[in-house]
Amino acid sequence: MLRMIANRLATAILSLAILITIVFFMTHATPGGPAFSILGQKATPQAVQQLNARLGLAAPLWQQYLLWWWHLLQGRLGYSYLLNRPVTQLVGDYMMNTLALYVGAILLSLVLSIGIGLVQGVTYGRWPARLIGALQLSLYALPTFFVGTMFILYFGVKWGVLPTGGITNLRLEQPGLLDYGRHLALPVLTIGLLGVSGLSRYFGTSVHEELGKDYVRTALAKGLTFRAVLFKHVLRNALRPLVTILGLAFPGIFAGSVLVETVFNYPGLGYLLWRSALSQDYPVISAIVLLIGALTVIGNLLADLVNGLLDPRERYE
Amino acid sequence: MSNALGQTIHAPGGALRRSAAERAANWLGDRGTLVTGVALAAIVVLFSLIGPYLYTASPYAIHGHHALEAPSAAFPLGTDQIGRDELARLIAGGYATLIVSIPAAVLTFLLGITYGLAAALSPSWFDKVLMRVLDAILALPGLVVLIFFSALFTPGTFELILLLGLTSWPGLARIVRNEAIAQRNRDFILATRQFGGGTWYIARAHILRVMAPILVVNATFLVGDSVLALSGLSFLGLGLQPPYTSWGGLLQTGLNLIALDPWWMILPAGLMIFLSIMAANLIGQGLLARFGAAR
Repeated sequence: MLRMIANRLATAILSLAILITIVFFMTHATPGGPAFSILGQKATPQAVQQLNARLGLAAPLWQQYLLWWWHLLQGRLGYSYLLNRPVTQLVGDYMMNTLALYVGAILLSLVLSIGIGLVQGVTYGRWPARLIGALQLSLYALPTFFVGTMFILYFGVKWGVLPTGGITNLRLEQPGLLDYGRHLALPVLTIGLLGVSGLSRYFGTSVHEELGKDYVRTALAKGLTFRAVLFKHVLRNALRPLVTILGLAFPGIFAGSVLVETVFNYPGLGYLLWRSALSQDYPVISAIVLLIGALTVIGNLLADLVNGLLDPRERYE
Repeated sequence: MSNALGQTIHAPGGALRRSAAERAANWLGDRGTLVTGVALAAIVVLFSLIGPYLYTASPYAIHGHHALEAPSAAFPLGTDQIGRDELARLIAGGYATLIVSIPAAVLTFLLGITYGLAAALSPSWFDKVLMRVLDAILALPGLVVLIFFSALFTPGTFELILLLGLTSWPGLARIVRNEAIAQRNRDFILATRQFGGGTWYIARAHILRVMAPILVVNATFLVGDSVLALSGLSFLGLGLQPPYTSWGGLLQTGLNLIALDPWWMILPAGLMIFLSIMAANLIGQGLLARFGAAR
């Protein structure tokens, strides 16, 4: 187990290093460099030169690259051009909101996917499974921003049962937990549904595959009830690949949440990314891109480790 | 006959008849998927490409007295906030969406195949390097990279095609590489190598050929992904810029005015995006099932 942890950790660190390098070259691919996005496209060459000197952008590329690493290792990500606040502070504020959204959405899609997948796996080849399959396909083709907009139109505007956006009611003096929950409901539902189509399909297939295996026949033959076999043996085995898929689904969930946070004006990382992109606030953009990449790498690492805990065979691969 | 698990029990005698009937049902099912997909795709493409000739109202003409009107005889899908014909805008938006996303999917396809094959046919140390880099790129969601680069400049049609193509290939590259590695050591390819076939020849004449079904299926999925990515980007206001419009842009305008309940500005555009992606996925699924059955 220790050896596997060390192995996976080394891979993750290597991925992170490559990622950091890629993001460095992405930010320095800006035509004219960041100076233009601060001063505007019509900046005079003198002004650009002065600013470049001040920001350390006049140095040769390899020096800037080393400096970039040096600053990263110290946790210095620079200042937002737009808000003139340290990027780490800014990103930290928004990240907590995004995490709340994520945890809610992932829990929701896990619960739904396991339920739906069990039904689909057990009834494989018959109409319930076919119906579920058709629904999954439709759900997969529905863009999150369309679903979110429709939710706002119905729940918020037409029926008026849930708030249309934001994170708390600004008119309340002390927004309680209930108010947060009401604002979280629609975004969580939208992102959660986005995850369900793929996850439940995958889970349904693996339940079906597990049901056809010898150990199921043996368990049934020795007199266990179908329910006991399904929930004690099949569920555990079918859940294992789900962990990996969840790790891999992370970037997709984030991409979806950029759109969903924008739809609901929810102050999370995706919303911040969008605002910064519209105003070309590069330090913030690159910090978020880096953070998302790092979260994905860590997500995959955790998925591997959880797999190792669940299945001893994984530890020796 | 089936047991509690839904597995077919092959009773003697009846087995043959049953499996034939089942096969027929499956074939119809797969065919149904494919036919539905092609029909949807035809509707979407005809609507967007032939639409301008059948419905000639201008998507840019402003009818000031008819701003934000619900669907009527004069404006079948209503008007937007400055009185432009929504149906005409939906058609124009479809044209703009397809004209960007289809070439972008082609570019993605070519880049993905090139990278994947290059990795699979390189010496193993170089394959490892390419795959590590790919892992890192795949850690970044495509949309995030897209937002990053579209913030750099205001993209026109051509830039959007490049942008979408250059940011969407990593997923396909991984599929191609893994599949090519699986094919690389099959006997007939080893035999070709034995007879002196070069790497380029083997890639072109054998590996690409045996991979053709998988490539075709993924190509259809790519078109759907491309429509989705472009619509998302336009929805964020980072895609095609006004006065030109796209389905994502129409949705965004609808969202901005949502307090006024303009369902006709939201539902049609959303449904068109849904139908295009659905069409691509159904065709992909249908083809996948057919190729699977043929094997």
